[in-house]
Amino acid sequence: MNLPPDSPPAAQQAAGSASTDADLLTRHIGGDPHAFSEIVRRHRDRMWAVALRTLGDPDEAADAVQDAFVSAYRKADSFRGEAAVTTWLHRIVVNACLDRMRRKSIRPVADDELVEAAERDTPIPDHTGDRDVSMEVSAALKLLPTDQRAALVLVDMMGYSVEDAAQVLEVPTGTIKSRCARGRAKLAPILSHLRNRSDLTRVSSAKGAELRDG
Amino acid sequence: MTGDTHYDLEVLAELAEGLLDVATAARVREHLAICDPCGESLAELAAVREVLAAMPVPAMPMGVALRIDKALAAEAETRREGGLKLDEAPDWDRIMADSPWETPAPLPEMPVEPPAVERPEEVVPLGIVADDGSIVPARRTRRTSRRRSWAMPVAASVAAAVVIGGAGLTANMLMASGSGTGSAPPVALPQPTHSPAPSRSHEIRPGSAQADYPVAKSDYNYSSSVLDGPLATYVGATGPGTGSSATADAAVTRCVAKISARVGKKLGVKAPKPIGVDQGFYEGNEATVMAFWKDRFRNAVYVYVVDDNCTNVRPPAVSRWQ
Repeated sequence: MNLPPDSPPAAQQAAGSASTDADLLTRHIGGDPHAFSEIVRRHRDRMWAVALRTLGDPDEAADAVQDAFVSAYRKADSFRGEAAVTTWLHRIVVNACLDRMRRKSIRPVADDELVEAAERDTPIPDHTGDRDVSMEVSAALKLLPTDQRAALVLVDMMGYSVEDAAQVLEVPTGTIKSRCARGRAKLAPILSHLRNRSDLTRVSSAKGAELRDG
Repeated sequence: MTGDTHYDLEVLAELAEGLLDVATAARVREHLAICDPCGESLAELAAVREVLAAMPVPAMPMGVALRIDKALAAEAETRREGGLKLDEAPDWDRIMADSPWETPAPLPEMPVEPPAVERPEEVVPLGIVADDGSIVPARRTRRTSRRRSWAMPVAASVAAAVVIGGAGLTANMLMASGSGTGSAPPVALPQPTHSPAPSRSHEIRPGSAQADYPVAKSDYNYSSSVLDGPLATYVGATGPGTGSSATADAAVTRCVAKISARVGKKLGVKAPKPIGVDQGFYEGNEATVMAFWKDRFRNAVYVYVVDDNCTNVRPPAVSRWQ
């Protein structure tokens, strides 16, 4: 898997004494009690980011990532070598998120008193500009159909190639492109007022700069 | 296409992704060359990508990382012993999904003894500032006893026994007898098909002399999704195998009274008694979870999660009891 600029390949080679993710997974299957922890340590931030962006809610994201890692732990031996371990992990995390979203969408809508109570009893968070943008983007993403959201999270937010996203989501690259296109078309009017502010955000985000400059 | 007709955003986004056929793409490009509004739209689409790429990628919070480590440690434990051992509160919904209540003892024999190793990452109990300003260590009742192992066979057979016996008891009635309100409707609420109620037969005892509502100290680490309900097996229960309930210390009692007053105001009644109070953790931090009836017949409860200072650590929410 072609990992985006700020991702582990370099760190991975430096840290593990030639232990690739695949080696670690093999050792885990063989009974090494520490191998899987190392995999988790390497990838948890990335998985967290994917889940948080996809679900837009830290509690849900925490549950999804936990479910995903436990599931990966259990079914490690179902991993087939032709895919990268990272792709496989991403797939498990993304699927855990999508499952959660599907389940959520059929739940009855929360009591309006709930919202009222939440507003009254929770201190209003300190809104910095960045946080504001971030919250607006999260809210806007939630308006998209889940498949479009998942594609945009992987490609536009996490910076994966269309090919990698296609492997994670197990659909053709054309499907990823078209989901991204449709998602962006829906987001454009919602986010257009953020354009000026995004100039500010870009300066403060190393990742944005990296992605922008290739 | 010329004049006042414009391409919509989706077509422009597809152009940008190279999804249009050659002829269409040429036509759209031609239009773009002379149409400012469409050029503007194309720029907006590019801006979407930039805004998304600029979203900060936060590291996994320590609490979540610890939680996952814990879950995986429990998983490793299972793997080592080659059996199913549940050290955290189990997901009864899932476990019982395939077990019709009619079938007695549907589950295989499982080890009941607690895990051999204490978890090393046990949260260090924090002190509580008492009224006079001195710091008292957080009370850890039953700390000496080992962490509760949720022994499933016991719960499973107990649940089966209730069904077989035809007692027809519902958790509601048991809860009600524990809370001492005496206002429990003698009507069984419609039961969900897979009703997870491992502790159904455990009557909840009042915690201590001053607390006439059930108080538990499960040390269970609640997550937000667990708190969405059903809660009867968590907050209402001290859990299978624990036998007795904890006592509430003064701070908890005061806090319950405070929250109770708030709930009472909301319901337009005098401060109601909680259905259950459980001292455990929320997302890895010490917290007390309280449940109050909102509407018994609709199976709706208010859930409050507060810290030592009686401050909400999770927005109060409405949840399902069963």
